[in-house]
Amino acid sequence: MIKTWELDPGFKDEIMKEPGGEHLTSCYQCSTCTIGCPITEIVPSYNPRKIIQMSLLGMREEVLSSPDLWICLICQTCTARCPQDVGISDLLSAIRRIAEKDEEAGKLKIESSRPLFDTAFLHTVEKYGRLYDIGLAMEYYPKREGSFIAGQKAMMKDYMDFGMRMFFKGKMGPLGGHGLLKGVLPSKIKKTDVMKKIFKWAEEKEK
Amino acid sequence: MSVTKLAYYPGCPSEATALDQHISTEAVFEKLGVELVEVEDWNCCGAAEAENPMLVYALNARNLAIAERASLNIMTPCSICYYNLARTAKALKEDEKLSAEIKGIDSSLEYNGTITAKHVLDVLVNDIGMDELESKIVKKLNIKVAPYYGCYIGRPRETAYDDPDDPVLMDKLIELMGGEVVPFTQMKTLCCGGPLMMTRADIAYDMARTILGTAKSAGADCVALACPLCGMMLDAKQPDIEKALGIKIEMPVVYITQLLGLALGIDASKLGLDKNAVDTKELLGKVV
Repeated sequence: MIKTWELDPGFKDEIMKEPGGEHLTSCYQCSTCTIGCPITEIVPSYNPRKIIQMSLLGMREEVLSSPDLWICLICQTCTARCPQDVGISDLLSAIRRIAEKDEEAGKLKIESSRPLFDTAFLHTVEKYGRLYDIGLAMEYYPKREGSFIAGQKAMMKDYMDFGMRMFFKGKMGPLGGHGLLKGVLPSKIKKTDVMKKIFKWAEEKEK
Repeated sequence: MSVTKLAYYPGCPSEATALDQHISTEAVFEKLGVELVEVEDWNCCGAAEAENPMLVYALNARNLAIAERASLNIMTPCSICYYNLARTAKALKEDEKLSAEIKGIDSSLEYNGTITAKHVLDVLVNDIGMDELESKIVKKLNIKVAPYYGCYIGRPRETAYDDPDDPVLMDKLIELMGGEVVPFTQMKTLCCGGPLMMTRADIAYDMARTILGTAKSAGADCVALACPLCGMMLDAKQPDIEKALGIKIEMPVVYITQLLGLALGIDASKLGLDKNAVDTKELLGKVV
């Protein structure tokens, strides 16, 4: 049941202020986004149309705490098919960023490991200028599992076979013939100082 | 042929998991007589993980600016790198204030909108062109291929260079090389699941299985693709998917540049065909 006194009428404006969230109110609830969504095919309860309607109504807490926000593939199928140009893929991204800000402020606990993954990914880019897979995994798994040891175990379980495969196929490590330890050591760009400036600026813009 | 020299943005997977795509792209363009100049000291585009568009614009402004200083259009083999480069080029061209602000971060981010970003597939079919390619093809590919396009080739519309529901650029190339395109329309643009690989592998594996399974029932000898993240999901992770779901798929997955390289008469070893996770030997036997 929706309790009107618990709604946040300012939520739609909050979303529309975020880059990507601008076209929220163009939605006329036709469901084209949801009918064509590949995630809805697998998880029938997943419903981007409903997330939009709840946002319009001001159901801030329900929307931001929904685990469904984090299973969007950003595949852009909804965006491409939307007759109202709502830009649903970017809109959901805007909502996810609001959820992340709320979590940072201690107002919310996100029930998904995806923000941890994204953050770990971007940390390697900030530090080296390029993605460093191993560095990403070394940050992501321990955070996800809650301890260094549990993280190493989970990483081994997921990536032991994969790592060996990449090694023997010459895609990572000395068998590659493309630099002795490529893929094993980070590929660091020269202008990492510019990366630091870029991340600092983008972070300020998010505030 | 109008294009003779391009700035080449390989993207992060080119150094490890998509080394095969990287090698084959360089080999194909060398064979076609198009010089690729690697974007000097290029940085990551932010992929799908950078959800803040401002971060994406700033990261990609630097790569665009480096190519622009060399007066070369920038080309990438990765669909998500393409999307990030192309949407940044568009945003900075349309929004002078944003462009000035990004330049303010560091002078090396000054992009003036004089060059464009392109995906390898787009360059091959639309810029180099079918006639030019046909004149250089020396071998016939006697294979049945499932062309898999994934995301960002046909959508979103602002940056798309092929049809959103039934893209055809790879189909055209496959037929030009003597291959047969198997019925695959409903799978062509379905996401591979890649973005959820590390956080919801159950969903990601389910999606990959559908795509690979459909290719198999359609009688394909291989799946062809044009993005290293699709390659990671459908090829590099295929044995993991088989193990997790207790099924056998054994569907070779190759990059379109690897197939084109074979048709152009380039040796398989120079196309990284020994590096695909699912064995390609049987496939190579069908190239005459």
